[in-house]
Amino acid sequence: MRETPLSNCERDFLLKSIEAKKRLDGRQTYDYRNIKITFGTDYGCCTVCLGKTRVLAQVSCELVPPKDARPTEGLMFFNLELSPMASPGFQSNRQSELLVTLNRQLERCLRNSRCIDTESLCVISGEKVWQIRVDVHVLNHDGNLMDAASVAAISALSHFKRPEVAIQGRDVTVFSPEERDPVPLSVYHMPICVSFAFFQQGTYLLVDPCEKEEQVMDGLLVIAMNKHREICFIQSSGGIMLLKDQVLRCSKIASVKVSEITELISKALENDKRVRKEGGKFGFAESVAKERITVLTREEAPLEMTDVQATADEIISKADAPPEVVPSPVIVATGTGQVGEGLQSTWGLEDDDDEEEEMSDLTEREKKKDEVMVISDSEEEEVVILNQAGQSKCS
Amino acid sequence: MAGLELLSDQGYRLDGRKATELRKLQARMGVFGQADGSAYMEQGNTKALAVVYGPHEVRGSRSKSLHDRAVINCQYSMATFSTAERKRRPHGDRKSSEMSLHLKQTFEAAVLTQLYPRSQIDIYVKILQSDGGNYSACVNAATLALVDAGIPMRDYVCACTAGFVEDTPLADLCHAEESGGGTTLSLALLPRSESIALVQMDARLHQDHLPALMEAATVACKGLSKVLDDVVRQHLQEVSVQTRE
Amino acid sequence: MDIIHSCFKAQIGEVVLPGDVFRFNVSSVEDDSSVKAEKIICGPGLRRNGDEIQVYKSGILRHKQPNLYWIDSQQKRYVPVKGESVIGIVTAKTGDIFKVDVGSSEQASLSYLAFEGATKRNRPNVQVGDLVYAQFIIANKDMEPELVCIDSCGRANGMGVFGADGLLFKVSLGLVRRLLSPQSEIVKDLEKIFPFEMVVGLNGRVWIKAKTIQQTLIVANLLESCENMTAQQRQALFKRVADGAL
Repeated sequence: MRETPLSNCERDFLLKSIEAKKRLDGRQTYDYRNIKITFGTDYGCCTVCLGKTRVLAQVSCELVPPKDARPTEGLMFFNLELSPMASPGFQSNRQSELLVTLNRQLERCLRNSRCIDTESLCVISGEKVWQIRVDVHVLNHDGNLMDAASVAAISALSHFKRPEVAIQGRDVTVFSPEERDPVPLSVYHMPICVSFAFFQQGTYLLVDPCEKEEQVMDGLLVIAMNKHREICFIQSSGGIMLLKDQVLRCSKIASVKVSEITELISKALENDKRVRKEGGKFGFAESVAKERITVLTREEAPLEMTDVQATADEIISKADAPPEVVPSPVIVATGTGQVGEGLQSTWGLEDDDDEEEEMSDLTEREKKKDEVMVISDSEEEEVVILNQAGQSKCS
Repeated sequence: MAGLELLSDQGYRLDGRKATELRKLQARMGVFGQADGSAYMEQGNTKALAVVYGPHEVRGSRSKSLHDRAVINCQYSMATFSTAERKRRPHGDRKSSEMSLHLKQTFEAAVLTQLYPRSQIDIYVKILQSDGGNYSACVNAATLALVDAGIPMRDYVCACTAGFVEDTPLADLCHAEESGGGTTLSLALLPRSESIALVQMDARLHQDHLPALMEAATVACKGLSKVLDDVVRQHLQEVSVQTRE
Repeated sequence: MDIIHSCFKAQIGEVVLPGDVFRFNVSSVEDDSSVKAEKIICGPGLRRNGDEIQVYKSGILRHKQPNLYWIDSQQKRYVPVKGESVIGIVTAKTGDIFKVDVGSSEQASLSYLAFEGATKRNRPNVQVGDLVYAQFIIANKDMEPELVCIDSCGRANGMGVFGADGLLFKVSLGLVRRLLSPQSEIVKDLEKIFPFEMVVGLNGRVWIKAKTIQQTLIVANLLESCENMTAQQRQALFKRVADGAL
């Protein structure tokens, strides 16, 4: 499927607003979107919503023979899938760059940092060990898949419980969850990835880019840390040039964010444990609100409104004294003139008729110009198009 | 690994180097006739070959060509005999794809691609013997190959690994040190402007040690750049002696 | 044909589902010779099937005097309809036409000559990635959709390529139709906050430009949040914004 292309207008606007330190949804440059973590009914199933990005992780285990080089350690296998469900641009069965990058980063973040005690996964040394498999599926793509995937994977691993085993000589009995309580994995620490997007050759950086911001960014720096301020991995990508102190600054920001997110995960885990113990209802079905619109709702976005009042006053005061701003009348082209101040017409074509409207009273000047087109929804041939409301008055 | 001291009390490493010493570096340029540029590099026991073709027409789909700059295409592969155990899949597996991607990003930052729109530059790198620092050897060899091919670049790209043992940063790790479970930082640097083209780190490291580690890697890269510089100058001298009238 | 009107009347303003039918007893009507033949116009969502009118989209049944009925449904994906004005993104310049993405199943074509004042020598200044506001002249299921930027008299009439600046975002089709209705409450309320320019395309794309970037962002976010608010909630929200307290 083809993705909607990014227009030049959007790109310019995004870059300009980043320079003015404003983001599309009103966040600050170092703010994360709302993170929601929910667990499923099975142990080891976890969904993370990072704004609109949604990721599902599932952990499962099975008994396999170990690697020859390490007979006493269990195995871990990570798999991340980008299904076309998540975004029109994703295609199944294609090894895209993004897929390879995400998979490798997830592997390195969780395996090389040794967050799980693999020695405890050994059942019979040299013959049978547990293989833990983490499958991450991306359900909706709205930017920053790496962070969401790492949070989902580590939450799922912390939530997972493997079956209890009993060893008698060379016989291994695996007990089902009904016979004996399953055993949780021993998680040493929780590495969380934090992504930084760079713009304008590294001059501006943003934490947690959304999809539009990802499309205009120059490069990405991913730092994975745990709450003990240990860096688990760093990866820079994209053709950007960084400076050493930029990397150091990002690591400091990352440590703050990681401690917040680890708090969130522990709270979610505790909540889930409590609900299960009390016998209440838990699982995904509970987290999706019934009888309410799910997709098109929006949470309140914190938009900066501080100097709007001042700007509004400014406009009014400016409008009071047009001669100081624009010498009037201004002859723009033969047959048309401009009196007073108005918003510049942005049509690329010569459209000077708009200026004539400014001759009307002050309040009119502040009224926006918009195209009011009334087209009835019927499939009939007849189409009614009304001209600009102002123009019909003048002409 | 138990029983193997990465840093002895007198400050010597497994192969007798001091903490900040680099391995012996040898390189030759212009080793292949067919390619536009080629180089062979030995960094200690790690041996890497790099070959550059380009800029040439975009092969395959025309849609891949960019209207304002050149496309850089990298392929990284390891010979099956390069590691202790025979490698069953020399290329196409995830690690090689990731390495190819990283190489591509590194050189997209360094090569002046705006000078060749709608064309393609191919960089092929092969590891003949792997003893730690694969990525760094590839980057250094590819830099020499690009210089040999005459493709304009902003600066040399030098890469080096660095590790951390008992509060001492080590420069240029070998395989035993890398797989010992300690930290490995790979850094690709443009030495004159000290701008980082790629930084990559695995395994746990406390945040406070990061500046020291990066400093050690930067210094190592700068030392490497001097050696590369010498190699290029020597090669140019030899070539010009032969063509001088 | 009051029978037909009365058939519909019960359901006006109610939710109907695909498969609901409105059946008329034609035989009873034919006996009555005093009845004139009248037209009933079925809008989107309704389809005539012999003697019945079938509903094929879920939504609310609406009526406009004297004889227009349609289903007000909610969807995000746009299907081109002749005569509708949309905002498109230019994706390619090939031969004599531009290829424009309008968010539908096919890319529409826009000829170089379909701009005001464009001749074979005088080509319009449009680049790949620019936004255009254009109207469909051909949009049916058998052919590739075609756009033009001039009306039947050859004048631009507000259409054409956009200038720089401004923010483009996507909303659902229902919200877009609400914004474009002649007595749109949302637009009236928004006017009072601060002046801005707005272009609404029927394919769900809206372009906003205000004096500063911050104001543009505020208006864009307000519009997106109007999707599912009742009138009171919306007015309360706008009032808060106007007071600068949000």
